[in-house]
Amino acid sequence: MSSNQVDSKEKKILNSMFWRSHLTFLAFNMVKMEANGFTLTMAPAIEEIYKDDPEGKKAAYQRHQSFFNTHAVPFSFIAGLSYALEKQNKETPNFDPEVINSLKVSLMGPTAGMFDSLFFNGLRIIAAGIGIGLGSQGNLLGALLFILLYGVTQSIAKYYMLNWGYNYGTTFIDQVFSSGLMKALTKATAILGLMMTGALTASMVNVPLNWTISINGANLVIQDVLNSIFPGLLSIILVFIMVRLIKKGVRPSYLIFGILAFGLLGALIKIF
Amino acid sequence: MVNEALSICLAYLIVYVIDAFLLSWQCLTRPIIVGPIAGLILGDLKTGIILGASLESIFMGISYIGGSVASDPTSATFISVAFAILSGQNTEASMALAIPIGTLMQSFSGAMMPFWSSLAPYWEKLAANGKIRQLFSQSLVVSILMQSVNAVVMFLAIAFGTQGLDAVLAKLPAWAMTGLGAASGMMIGIGIAILTSMIWSNTVGVFFFLGYVMVKFMNLSTLPIAVIGVVIAVTIFLQDKDVIDVKNAIMEKLGKGSKSSDEKGFFA
Repeated sequence: MSSNQVDSKEKKILNSMFWRSHLTFLAFNMVKMEANGFTLTMAPAIEEIYKDDPEGKKAAYQRHQSFFNTHAVPFSFIAGLSYALEKQNKETPNFDPEVINSLKVSLMGPTAGMFDSLFFNGLRIIAAGIGIGLGSQGNLLGALLFILLYGVTQSIAKYYMLNWGYNYGTTFIDQVFSSGLMKALTKATAILGLMMTGALTASMVNVPLNWTISINGANLVIQDVLNSIFPGLLSIILVFIMVRLIKKGVRPSYLIFGILAFGLLGALIKIF
Repeated sequence: MVNEALSICLAYLIVYVIDAFLLSWQCLTRPIIVGPIAGLILGDLKTGIILGASLESIFMGISYIGGSVASDPTSATFISVAFAILSGQNTEASMALAIPIGTLMQSFSGAMMPFWSSLAPYWEKLAANGKIRQLFSQSLVVSILMQSVNAVVMFLAIAFGTQGLDAVLAKLPAWAMTGLGAASGMMIGIGIAILTSMIWSNTVGVFFFLGYVMVKFMNLSTLPIAVIGVVIAVTIFLQDKDVIDVKNAIMEKLGKGSKSSDEKGFFA
C-alpha cells in the first residue's frame, strides 16, 4: 500500500467519511461499543466500492458491525485504512476479508493507549489548565479557549488521520512506533501535563487549616508555620498522599467520600 | 423553579447529543463549558463561569477512558450551578455536593446500560440489510433516550430539590458548612491526583514542582505557564528526536550488509 494519488471521487468519499467519523460514540453500548459509529463512517466507502455487488455490500456492513473501541481521533485513521483495505478486497480476487477485521482489532489497543495519553492526559490538561486559570477570574475566554484547543483540534486531527490512514496505511503506524518518536512525544506531553497539574495544585487546591495551638498563652497558628516552611505545603502533601493511594488501587469514589468525611470531621473538632 | 429546571434539562440534552454523539469531542460536556451555559440560562453568567472552572479542576481527572466513568461531570455541573444560583447558597457547599451528585447520576445511566446494550443484534440486522439511513436515525433517537433518563432525574432534582436542599442546608450547624467548604477545597486535589498518577514518571516528575513554583512564587497565570511548558517540551522532544535519528542511522549502517533494499520499509 504505497502512497497513492487521490482522485476527486475518492476525495469526496473521504470528506464524507470525515464528517461521519464524528459519530464515533453514537448509540455507544457495552456490547459493540463504537460499532454503529464505525458502520456509519464506512457507509460512503462501502456504497461506492460495492455498488454493483449487493452480497459484498452486505458482508462489508456486517464486518464493520463487529466490536470496536478506540479513541475518537485514531478512529478515523482506522476508518481510512479500512477504506483502502475494502477497496483492495474488491479488486484483488484472493484477498481474505478477515484481514480487515484482524487489523482493526490489532490497532484498537495500541492506538487507544497512544491517543488517550496524547489527548485525554495531554492536550486536555493543558487546555483545561489555561481555561481554569481564566475561568476562575470570571473570564468567558477560558471556556472558548478550551473548545478551540481541545475540541476543534480533535476534528483537525481526525481529518489528517483519516487521509493518512487511506494513503499510507499500516506503514504509518509502523513508522511511528518503530522509530521511537512516539515515546519522545509522550514524554513531551507528560512534561507539559505535569507542569499544568503542578500549577493547578498551587492555584486551586486548598487545605483551609484553621488550627491554633496555645502554649502558655502564646498562640501558634499551624497553617502559618507550615507556610513559612513552604507555601501551600499541605496542598502538595494532600495531592501526593492521594497519588500514592490511587497507585495502590484505591478507587476515586472512596477518596471523594473520604475527603467529604475528613472535611466534616475536621470542622467538628475545629481544625478547619 | 419548574421553568428553570425544564430549560436546564433541555440544555443538558442538547449539549450532550451534540457533543458526545454528533461530534465525539467530549469537550462541550466538560464542567468548564457547562458551567457558563447553566449560568447563562439562570441569569448569572459570572457564577456559572467561576463555578465551572472550579468544577473542571475537580472533574479533570475523571474522564471517560475505556467507556466508564466514576462520576458524571455534565449533570453534576448543571445541578450544582443550579443549586448555587437558584438557592443562593454559597458556591463551596454546592461544589462539595457536585461529585456525589455526579456519582449518583452515573449510577442511573449505568443501570440502564444493559438495556441499551441489548439492542446490539438489532443494529447488526439493520446494517446487514444496508439500511444505513435507519441505522443513523434510530441510533440518534436511542442516544437521545439514553440521556433522557439523566435529564428526568435532573429535572426532579432541580425543580423540587432546590427548596428541600435549601431547607436542609439552613438547618445544618455551622461546623457542617465549614466542613463542606473545606472538603470542596481539598476535593479539587482528587482530579489532579488522578491525572498526576497517570502521567507521572520519575524522569519527568520534577516538572510538577516547576509548575507549582511558577504559580506560588512567581504569580504567573496558566497561559504563560503553558507557553513556557511548550517551549520546554518542544526543546526536549527535538533533542530526543536527534538522539533517535542518530540511533536509527547507526542501526541502519550496521544492518546494511545483511538486508536487501526491499526490506527497508520494515526496518525498525
